[in-house]
Amino acid sequence: MKIRAIMMNTFSGLVRNKIIILFCAGCVCILLLMLSSLLVIRNLRSVQNAEQMQAAVLPLIGSMMALVSGFGSLLAAWSAADALSSEMRSGTILAVMARPVRRWEFLLGKYLGVQLLMLVFVAIMVGLDYLLAWIGGAHIQSAPWELIVYPMVRYAMFSAIGLALVTLMHPILAFSVVLFMSITAQLVSPGANTTFLPEWLKTGLFYLLPSTNLLSEMRFLTITRATLQAATWSEHAVALAYGLDYALVCFLIASWIFHSRSLSRD
Amino acid sequence: MAAAAIKFQGVTKVYKRVFSDERIRALAEVSFEVVPGEVCAFLGPNGAGKTTAISILMGFFFADSGEIRVLGHPPGDVRAKAQIGFLPENFAFYKYLTAPKLLRLHLALAGRNPAGSAGLIADLLQKVKLAGYENLKIGKYSRGMVQRIGIAQALLCDPQLVILDEPTSGLDPSGRREVLQVLAGLKAQGKTVFLSSHILPEVEQICDRVVIIDRGKLVRTGRLEDMLASGNRVEIAADRVPDGFEQSATGEGAVVERAAHGVRILVDASRKRETVEMLWSAGCDVTAMNPLRSTLEELFLKEVDRQ
Repeated sequence: MKIRAIMMNTFSGLVRNKIIILFCAGCVCILLLMLSSLLVIRNLRSVQNAEQMQAAVLPLIGSMMALVSGFGSLLAAWSAADALSSEMRSGTILAVMARPVRRWEFLLGKYLGVQLLMLVFVAIMVGLDYLLAWIGGAHIQSAPWELIVYPMVRYAMFSAIGLALVTLMHPILAFSVVLFMSITAQLVSPGANTTFLPEWLKTGLFYLLPSTNLLSEMRFLTITRATLQAATWSEHAVALAYGLDYALVCFLIASWIFHSRSLSRD
Repeated sequence: MAAAAIKFQGVTKVYKRVFSDERIRALAEVSFEVVPGEVCAFLGPNGAGKTTAISILMGFFFADSGEIRVLGHPPGDVRAKAQIGFLPENFAFYKYLTAPKLLRLHLALAGRNPAGSAGLIADLLQKVKLAGYENLKIGKYSRGMVQRIGIAQALLCDPQLVILDEPTSGLDPSGRREVLQVLAGLKAQGKTVFLSSHILPEVEQICDRVVIIDRGKLVRTGRLEDMLASGNRVEIAADRVPDGFEQSATGEGAVVERAAHGVRILVDASRKRETVEMLWSAGCDVTAMNPLRSTLEELFLKEVDRQ
């Protein structure tokens, strides 16, 4: 009951959070700009050259989907960092922690509140994916569960990283570190053409940093049957277990740090 | 003898700055006890270490050394916290909640089912004079109203120990009186109250024990009655004094103060009879004689100035 109360209260706080609203509004603006160009391209093409239209429109749709999905990772990290730091900053944490609530229970409630927010985000994102596919005149071939579970696990991982970092540092710094980590993870991924890093460092960082490629639903979110990539259940299990394990380790680190830190108005 | 509700034994807390050698000693070997059922005033000037001590008591901060027990448990233990009502200094709140929603949240945090708590919440809001504001978001409350809702949440789960950090902060005189009435009610119910406040005349009315700290050090602790009665002097009020009385009395350590409606004489208790007889024999009218009791404010200022 305590964890549920903290979770629901965190969710209520996050949906009213001005920075998050601003963050989402910015993303919606970019999407609308891309959508308008998408519609212009689509209308310029005639029915006769449908293949040409698909060639121009589908990459744009793919970019928009990737943008929304990537934005979700940053939203997850920021929400987790802000959910904890805003309680510390305002001092509301003092009245909450004066109740018979253990520190890990408080942290878990906060974390689950962020996951609830991300679940709403994923629901909107999946709806948007289908809408974009419909505008492009294509069909999403991947299973709906993949579009929900994969981003949720990835967001669980990013929010856990954000939570662990914010127990040590300012939320803006924590967010910057998450951003840096995710960019670096892209640069050191096996397919990336990064020449300025020595191989041993690339390998080390690849194992250390969260692999967003492995947990990207973009592996499955193919809108043309020709590029559909099938994955076996064992591949799904390994990829999801990796994400959940990473999230669990980060959450445990956050709990350990939070357990021994002073609670005061920052 | 019952175990102490609060026990501080040689508690030291030093704040350390990261990347610096700077050390600030917030508490130095502070020791005191509060017996169950007592109202204890925790006094000290600004920066004395009161909030640090309360934060350690609540398990928000960790002491560097010393032993702390709260209701027989270590600070921060959920078994102790289940019996504590706490009002932090400058109570902060979730601005988007209304008072009943905040209280329901705190009931859930205390592990109680908020369903069916409407009566309890309505009573509490009535008690802190917030009835009628149930639909107003706390973000729109005045400073005094926020303090009242803070007091309501501290009293929510019928706590055995109530810890209040500046409970009358932001309240007008009538609000302060109401808080004192609430505290007096808690005292009558046998609850232990530990409060920090700067409004000493009001605290003096209800507290049994006083703990004074300054610059992190314990200055004085004890029962209020014992501490205030330590001055063995008597105050005598008369309509006038005979010629030459003032000179001779002052020479023997008395203090004579002339007022618009008579004279106030402060003498040692051993000389009260002699002084009254002298006034009567000179035809003066003695209108009152009372043992002189210093106030908590005088005591506090004396102790702090001595430091």
